[in-house]
Amino acid sequence: MALSTIPFSGLGADASNQGVNFRNLIINGDMSIAQRGTSSTGITSNGYYTVDRFQTIISSLGTWTNSQSTDVPTGQGFSNSLKMECTTADASPSAGDNLLLYHYVEAQNCQHLKFGTSNAESLTLSFWVKSNKTGTLTQNIRQIDGGKFINNSYTINSANTWEKKTLNFVGNTADVIDNDNGAGFQIEWWLDSGSNFRGGTPSSSWHTQNNLDRNADGTISLADTVGNTWYITGVQLEVGTSASDFEFLPYDVNLQRCERYTRRLGDGLWGKASSTTNMIIQCPFFSPMRATPSISAITSAIKTSDVTAADYTSSTGITSANINAYGARLGCINFSGLTSANMYILYDNSSYIALIDAEL
Amino acid sequence: MIQTVEKLYENSQFTNTYKIVYTDNSEVFVPHDTANRHYQEILEWVAEGNTITDNGGGE
Repeated sequence: MALSTIPFSGLGADASNQGVNFRNLIINGDMSIAQRGTSSTGITSNGYYTVDRFQTIISSLGTWTNSQSTDVPTGQGFSNSLKMECTTADASPSAGDNLLLYHYVEAQNCQHLKFGTSNAESLTLSFWVKSNKTGTLTQNIRQIDGGKFINNSYTINSANTWEKKTLNFVGNTADVIDNDNGAGFQIEWWLDSGSNFRGGTPSSSWHTQNNLDRNADGTISLADTVGNTWYITGVQLEVGTSASDFEFLPYDVNLQRCERYTRRLGDGLWGKASSTTNMIIQCPFFSPMRATPSISAITSAIKTSDVTAADYTSSTGITSANINAYGARLGCINFSGLTSANMYILYDNSSYIALIDAEL
Repeated sequence: MIQTVEKLYENSQFTNTYKIVYTDNSEVFVPHDTANRHYQEILEWVAEGNTITDNGGGE
């Protein structure tokens, strides 16, 4: 078959449902990549904690453990899920309190949806979910450019049972998604909130943001009891009005896609001594990140070696940085015995030394 | 929650990088780039009335 005649939907026997054609707008929907770690406890504020690309949003609504779990729906091919577990309850949230998950889709990955035109494509969001609570939870998509929302909801019918949910969203014919590296969609999974996010009139049409709509359908208050859990995996957002099988990607491809937004730095980097105690570590970004990233120092000691295999360890980790879109220089102090202008290589560090973050 | 933000200099030149120290003492080096989410966090922190530490490169 000529390359030009391969259908967009792929080469599988059932072309509408099979094959890898990057139809899933969600990155890491199988929760297999967790570069920051597999468990984070004591969560009370917004952040990316474990599974890549999924952000926990929380404002004064309990304390949580976020983890990459191996509890998955049987026989579906998944190895991981994202788990939220309540460790300190809050059964009476204040009006502005909220608890939800975000996933951002980069705007330039949404151009084929033709939003802002009469040919705007419909979308289908599917995922597997499990909770010890039964009831309804609210699901929204926010289109950042244009400031519009569309609301939906799903029901957990049986406690502690994996269920697949499929939600449909019409295309937005009115508002264009800018072709840039900003956020196109903010996908929202609401888990609990105060009254500022309830009581509105959710709509299955794209409409101007009204916070009262954002958790209007939610009947579950996940923060009301210690030990409440909510799991999710197999998240897929695709063009059309039906959900195809989850598009599994090879692990390395999935990791590489995540690394546009977050990546680890560690062994193999080179540094040049600027004195007997100081070193500048060079960090090229071999593939571009979404934007100029931030750098978080992870370790408090950095081990290096020279060409004779002699070791030199800094006791203070990274103390300064100079970052641009193509790479970074990291400053390290508190070595001893370095030879100025000599080169050293990072090796035998027990973990990565820093996390680079260009998340949306 | 942000505790302090400091402008970073190298050879007396601003490196287009800031250092955030959070209340849990974790540190993040942040580029001067509006597309960066931590830089957006700095802008919000400043809008709340806080001040970035600027030693003018006179380290």
